[in-house]
Amino acid sequence: MSTPNPSAAPNPSEYAGDEVSAIVLDPGYSTTRAGFAGEDVPKSVVPSFYGVLDSGSGPRYVYGENAIHNPLAGLEIKNPWSSDGIVEDWEAASKVWEYAITSRLTGAKPTDPRKNGLNDPSGEDMDVDMEGLEDNEKPLSDSPLLMTEPGWNSAKAREKYIEIAMEEWGTPAFYLAKTGVLAAFAAGKASGLVIDIGASMTSVTPVLDGMVLKKGVQKSSLAGNFVSNQLRLIFEQSQPKIPLTPHYMVTSKTAVDAGAPAQAVYRQFATPPGDSFRRLEEERVLTEFKESVVEIWNGPPGQHRFSQNEDSARSLPGRPFEMPDGWNQVFGVERFKAAEGLFDAAAAFTDEQHPRPKEEQTIPKLIQAAISSVDADQRTMLQNHIVVTGGSSLLYKITDRLGAEINALFPSTRNKLHAPGQVVERKYAAWIGGSILASLGSFHQLWISKKEYEEHGVNIVEKRCK
Amino acid sequence: MASSRDVRDMLGLGVGGDAQKTAVQKRPKPAAPTRKFQGVAREVAALYGERPPPVAVYEEKKSYRAKRQHAGLVRPWIQQPFSNPARSDGLILKHWRRKPTTQPAPTSGDDTPVVVDSNYEFAKYNVQVEVPTFTDNEYEAYLRSEDWSREETDYLLDMIKEYYYRWPIIADRYDWQPPPKPEPTDENGDTNVHALSALPFAPPKDRSIEDLKARFYEISAKLMKLRIPQEEMGAAEYARYDILTNFSPTTERHRKNLAIALMSRPMDEVKEEEFLLAELQRINMAANRLDSERIELRERLDAPMPNTQVAAGLTSFQSSQALQALIQQLYQQDRSKKRASGSGPPRLSLSANDIIGTPGSAQHSAALNSAASARRQTLPNAAANQATPQTPIRTLTPAQEHRFNVSTHDRLTSGVTFGSDKLLKMRQAKSNVQTQKIAAALAQLGIQELISIPTSRVGEVFERLVGKVGRLLDVRKVREKEEGECRVLEEMRRRKAEQGSAEGPKKNEISDSQDQSTDPNANMNAGVGGEGTPAGDADGEVDIDAEGEVDADGETDTRTQTPSEAAMPPAGHKRSASVLSQTSIQSSKRARR
Repeated sequence: MSTPNPSAAPNPSEYAGDEVSAIVLDPGYSTTRAGFAGEDVPKSVVPSFYGVLDSGSGPRYVYGENAIHNPLAGLEIKNPWSSDGIVEDWEAASKVWEYAITSRLTGAKPTDPRKNGLNDPSGEDMDVDMEGLEDNEKPLSDSPLLMTEPGWNSAKAREKYIEIAMEEWGTPAFYLAKTGVLAAFAAGKASGLVIDIGASMTSVTPVLDGMVLKKGVQKSSLAGNFVSNQLRLIFEQSQPKIPLTPHYMVTSKTAVDAGAPAQAVYRQFATPPGDSFRRLEEERVLTEFKESVVEIWNGPPGQHRFSQNEDSARSLPGRPFEMPDGWNQVFGVERFKAAEGLFDAAAAFTDEQHPRPKEEQTIPKLIQAAISSVDADQRTMLQNHIVVTGGSSLLYKITDRLGAEINALFPSTRNKLHAPGQVVERKYAAWIGGSILASLGSFHQLWISKKEYEEHGVNIVEKRCK
Repeated sequence: MASSRDVRDMLGLGVGGDAQKTAVQKRPKPAAPTRKFQGVAREVAALYGERPPPVAVYEEKKSYRAKRQHAGLVRPWIQQPFSNPARSDGLILKHWRRKPTTQPAPTSGDDTPVVVDSNYEFAKYNVQVEVPTFTDNEYEAYLRSEDWSREETDYLLDMIKEYYYRWPIIADRYDWQPPPKPEPTDENGDTNVHALSALPFAPPKDRSIEDLKARFYEISAKLMKLRIPQEEMGAAEYARYDILTNFSPTTERHRKNLAIALMSRPMDEVKEEEFLLAELQRINMAANRLDSERIELRERLDAPMPNTQVAAGLTSFQSSQALQALIQQLYQQDRSKKRASGSGPPRLSLSANDIIGTPGSAQHSAALNSAASARRQTLPNAAANQATPQTPIRTLTPAQEHRFNVSTHDRLTSGVTFGSDKLLKMRQAKSNVQTQKIAAALAQLGIQELISIPTSRVGEVFERLVGKVGRLLDVRKVREKEEGECRVLEEMRRRKAEQGSAEGPKKNEISDSQDQSTDPNANMNAGVGGEGTPAGDADGEVDIDAEGEVDADGETDTRTQTPSEAAMPPAGHKRSASVLSQTSIQSSKRARR
């Protein structure tokens, strides 16, 4: 094999690709992913949270990883997404998304020195150049934009998407694709059942020939944030209470024995950041906990539920975890209980603010509902192509449990789970699918161009992006 | 053209030196690359000889990537704008392409407008589906339906076109909202013609995928018939028309329900089905094996035996005796054929019909019907199977047999045995005492220890004699026993008469009398079966053989067996006899006490 020449374009017949420097934007509750189509990882991954600083003249907004984790005085953290997976605050959302695009991808371009008017001998072309400058002010003036949306997005929200892209960002062409479809594409499948376990929502989407079966889309709020809340409840309900101190509070710490109270020097603020900031930082600690301690229980076949074999779980070795302030403990059975609520509503921790989730919200029930809403002829095919994606699907051993649950639901069919081992492919599956789609030569006829948008208005998105 | 090589060949000389050269030259080309051994010394390569080893061991030299070839000028890349002919709005996008070299050099400044490429290679993938179309008149005349309004039909066809006949998606997205109709302005008959479902108050129907399909197929079929009359349809067209007209939504629904039921079986049923399938497979495999074994067995039964006489050919029929034998054999075959047709169905699955018409078919069926006769006739069968003239088998009349001292054996034991050994064996019984008794009896009769000419006839006679001796001994034994019993009873009676009023002995008497009543019976048995006991050892093997014969064909064998022997196995009698003798001894002991 000869090494491909890096400066030679790949043979078009090899991948049917044709890159038009389109930008793919995949917004989510936790992070917003953006990058150029044709690449394999999003270049720009920014948190969807944004900070609001109340300065004297009015609210000041800060975006990006560095800004929102800085404990500035009075910093409040907000998220434009509602808890049911639809954008709530459009203004903030468009700003966050714009930040995701401009911070790494397009940037603030200097004008071409031939055209910036400084080198012109005469002032005749000034008007023309001004028009060009106006165009350049918009962040996306020469990149088509492919955006993703959840499968249950409302028609109004979709129109808002195209409005922002066309009016605010000035993109020459736009397309709106569903995350389920794109995740299936990323897995190399045009049809399949996509289980997306994200931060705020878990969704099960039947995809057929690159189109979502709308009646089969199932969603519930039992996802990553639910597991975090479960952890908070575990910490609160354990005796004694487990303290949850975020990093920014701790100046220095000393090693203590397991279970002993922390001996740390805490940071003092003249005007501390807001409660929402503390919550966000606590969330980071919980994320670390989820990554390193939490495990999904996998029982023997037939009794995979945790409640069925709690005793055997007790004999398993625990895992230690140290809080930022030095408090540490070995977590035994608790680490299995934290995420059990995703599969078994009866096993969830509850208190006044967090009622017990409904049984039909659990992931197995979602899968069952999605499959049963599909025509009988397509069911076996879907069960044979189940794609697992989403950041929270990286919980340890969740795919094994999913496989066991699915086999228990459909014992008579061949169920095949496709869960890529690579973290990037799991977290950014929808973006990768979008990157594939927007770099296909045959896709370019599907873009909604600016001209069409001006002709038909916002409702063209309903007609074209099916 | 005779080369020197040919001449040498003709003269029987060895191949000359230059001929070798030509041979070397003639070697096929593939040999050439093998000569290029790298990393092997020339001397070592020479040792390989003409045939190099199949795997040449040599190290590949390190090779670096070829240097990039700079062909003069640098060909720059540009962002080439292009328009897609598949689009109607003329959207211009840009992709990176090499700058075309044919363009005139940019002499008049750099900002010459780049030509928009309107020849887009991926435009060919813009394929639209065809959906049947119809005019208003056609709709009114043929396609009207009670259930479907014109508007909804149009909507359906639009959906089909939009979703490329993907029925599950069409059914998923199908969302027909009847347009709010204006009030019916006039009471003309025209408005009533419209289907009921088109009226504004009719709620939108919940259409299933089968309903949609049924409507579309109906429309398609009608339009197809309209466009092409049924008589002019080609085979493919008619097949499609047939499918379209035969679509039944209810059948389809039933099918799907069945499929769902199949998919939603519980685990146990699935397990059971898997188990049953495995079992079925096992049974099938066993059946196959059995079949093949059966075939193999049949082939083995039918295998022609090598016959040395066949080699003799016609010469063996030169004598009149041989010819006679041949006739007799043919006659026998004919008879067996008749017997085969008269008998019941063949035992193996090979039916008689299969065989008829093949040479020797009668022999086949005969062989299958009566295995015993087949076994005896194996040789003639084999001869008959081959179409060559028969070699005669001497069949002797009983008188001749007697005269020539010919005997036929069903099965011969392997190896050579002496007739005298056989006789000696007959003399020996199971117990030493018995053997001595037999010897004494024979000595009394004046028979020598060693019979000088132990022919088979002598053996037969001797066997009979020994049998009789054995019977005699048995009878003698019984007599002694009876006498003992009698003595005991007499003694008892005598004592009873002496004592007169004793209670105890009464019971004894009863049990003894019972003994007495059973004894004669048993003794009788022993007496009858006793004949077999001494001879049992001697002709045990013959017995087994005879049994096999009886099993195989049910023909009664007329050899050494007597009915009593067949009915009563000797060993059991012996035991019963000894048991009886024991009881009698006991009773005598008791009597003595």
